[in-house]
Amino acid sequence: MDLHSYPHGEHGRFEQIFNQFLLKSLHIILDSRVPMNRPPSRGGEIRKSDRWFNLVLGDRPAAMDSLSFWNRSLMEPMVIDIILVQESRYSLSEHDSRSTLATEMPAETVIERWVVQYEHQRSMAPQIGDAFYKKTYKKSIILLRSVYSMLRLLPAYKAFRKQQSFKQNCGFEINYKVCSFGSPLLRSEEESMKNYSFIPIDAQQGCLSVSVMYRKDLSDFNLDSCVSHPIEIISDYVGSPLTDPMRAFPCTSSEKGHSISFQTRGRQSAPPSPFQPPHSWSSGLQRELSSQQSQPYSASPPLYRSPYEYSSSPTEAYIQRNQNQRFPANQKAPCDEILSPPFSSSPSPSPPTKNVIPFHNRRHPETAPMSIPHPMIARSPRYLSPNLSDPNRNSLPPLSPRNTKHDSSSHESPSGIRSIRRLDSTRTGEMSNTPTNAGPKLSRDSKEDSGRFSSLLSSSSSPRVGLSRTSSRLSFQDDFGDCDCPFIVDDVDPPDNQTSSNLVARNCSEVSSLAPSTMKKSQDAAVGALVHMLKTAPPLRQESCYYNTQSSKTEFEGEVGAASEFFKPRKASDAFEELKVYRQMKDLLLSKSAAHLVSKEKTEF
Amino acid sequence: MNCEICQLKELDVEHFEIHEVLRCKILHTILFHRALGLVRPKDIDLELFEITYVQCGDVELERKVDEKIDQFLDRVDKHPNKKNQICLSFYEVKNKQPTWFTNKVERLYWEQWYINLNVAPHQKGHSGKSTSSKIVVDPEAEERTVRRAALEASLRDVLFQIIRFVNEKKDHIPPIPNLEGVSFPYEITISSSSDSAFGMEMFKRMLQTGHPTMLS
Repeated sequence: MDLHSYPHGEHGRFEQIFNQFLLKSLHIILDSRVPMNRPPSRGGEIRKSDRWFNLVLGDRPAAMDSLSFWNRSLMEPMVIDIILVQESRYSLSEHDSRSTLATEMPAETVIERWVVQYEHQRSMAPQIGDAFYKKTYKKSIILLRSVYSMLRLLPAYKAFRKQQSFKQNCGFEINYKVCSFGSPLLRSEEESMKNYSFIPIDAQQGCLSVSVMYRKDLSDFNLDSCVSHPIEIISDYVGSPLTDPMRAFPCTSSEKGHSISFQTRGRQSAPPSPFQPPHSWSSGLQRELSSQQSQPYSASPPLYRSPYEYSSSPTEAYIQRNQNQRFPANQKAPCDEILSPPFSSSPSPSPPTKNVIPFHNRRHPETAPMSIPHPMIARSPRYLSPNLSDPNRNSLPPLSPRNTKHDSSSHESPSGIRSIRRLDSTRTGEMSNTPTNAGPKLSRDSKEDSGRFSSLLSSSSSPRVGLSRTSSRLSFQDDFGDCDCPFIVDDVDPPDNQTSSNLVARNCSEVSSLAPSTMKKSQDAAVGALVHMLKTAPPLRQESCYYNTQSSKTEFEGEVGAASEFFKPRKASDAFEELKVYRQMKDLLLSKSAAHLVSKEKTEF
Repeated sequence: MNCEICQLKELDVEHFEIHEVLRCKILHTILFHRALGLVRPKDIDLELFEITYVQCGDVELERKVDEKIDQFLDRVDKHPNKKNQICLSFYEVKNKQPTWFTNKVERLYWEQWYINLNVAPHQKGHSGKSTSSKIVVDPEAEERTVRRAALEASLRDVLFQIIRFVNEKKDHIPPIPNLEGVSFPYEITISSSSDSAFGMEMFKRMLQTGHPTMLS
């Protein structure tokens, strides 16, 4: 057949259909005749190889991996012999001269012979066109269904089922042999066999035919003498070599003559033998799925050479070359279009596109990442007590920042607050994970903070407790939600810079000096101040931002000096000391208030 | 389009064998070859016979077939001692132009399968589904076993017949409307030989499918 006279596309398509037909028919026959360890379930996944001829058969037998399918010529038939192997025993009395021979010799009998071939007919006009190959494909589907059904009606199916049920206890074994020619059968064998030929399918310049020669009656083999054994639980089933998918297949050409027997059904991806490089089958299936194939469709050379492999022919390269061709995409056509073969050269179905959300977008539907709360913030408020008499400057809480760098329109705050604010803003800037949506909240909260603590400023000289603008504060706020701090005083207008700065300076100086004569203020405000001090207390760990307070030191050096001391890297011991200071401040305040009350009563009287 | 008609070999069955025989013949042989969409074949072993047939794996199809079989069984009960027939028809739907008298869609049958069963009188009290026929020493049981074996062989012949027919006749198959389940619209009708409408129905179908049309 002159393959060069046809358009590459048309012939390539038919070549592909024919090759897939061979594979599919071999798959069907082996599945129905040779017991193999099938996968537990074929699963819901349908591979592209299953889509050929719309017949989902599941995993291909591992035996097919070692067949040099790709190098066969289009003209060579595929002959599949189903061989029944039984052990025939010779009694010594009958064969005294051969007593040295083994008493048991396996008897192999071909019980079925399937022949799948392309019969070239030169007299036939070449059939080309999309409609023709689709019609051929449709008929191929029906033919394979018939083959599938027929396999279950023939007598050998019974033997297959018995061996499948009884495994190795049935007294016989079913092997198979695949080659491009059929070994001649004995006359007695031929006489006991019946021939059936399926109606051929018209191909390009010939026809695709399937025929079977089968033994009508298998009763001579006494297949019913299977011994059923109780089901045994194999504890080491997983490690059993019989089920090892990586098990090397025996070189049957040397062991069992012409039969290729496979006991297991390994995974396609696993090479059948450690001595063999990965076969083309496993990669071939992937080739079917890939759109671009730099290598020929059947380029991998046969790795397991048996005497029954197909011989190469000059047309191989051409076939391989043709199979690499890209076919035009199937155009939309009437109904038969949906029955199109899944050619391998067509763009492979892209892997399911995952809903990959870019990293930066992923965070949007999620909650804003919250940083670890400030250690100081996590403290219980009950330990917070402003101790204005504490001479320890380190115990000074950070001043309340009222604005952040994000909100330039907010009211200006005292210098101390500003320093803290800027410090915290730098800290905020450092933390790149700060969600953007925290920005408005920062500005919003700054105003609230300024409103919250302005009364604290005005009513007392206690150190102002500020709220940092870091995300830690936000987390703290989130933790507490919108619940009002019980110690928050009424909102008042923020004071002027000058007055506020003076107040802060005075407060700081008072705190630093821990003068017992402090301004009057309510106990609640003091506690609130302590709470906010804790909130705004810098982290214990040393951070570089602690030292970035350059711009805030111009006017408020006193506070800055105090604050800078405060913003030194702090340890737990410092925190505990500070706690002690607060307690002392609290006690002092309480004593002061009690003394004040007593003195007041005395004056009244 | 020519309507290919296949008259399957008549089988003598007993009442309890009807279900399996019909399921086997209808599902295995015919519908499996006409469900040209993606199919995951499922092997089903008959209980009464050592025959394995293949299902398409379409649950809806199996349900419909079982319904029809139940209807057939009811008909057999109503019309005993008569030859009963199931007809599986595949057709094409052609939208006919509405006229003054008719306004329905025309069906063009392109393939019909006639399954003929000769149902033996139902013997009450007889347990037909005996699997351990070897144990029974009753000569009637032995005769039943022989009959069962003959029926099995006949059933196998019928299945071969269907496969042959399916392979011989392929050109008349129209374009596939859909790949889900059975690819072509079909219907299953039940009739019996003594039914007066039986012949009329046959005649009606012959008229409908009498005009060959070219397939696209």
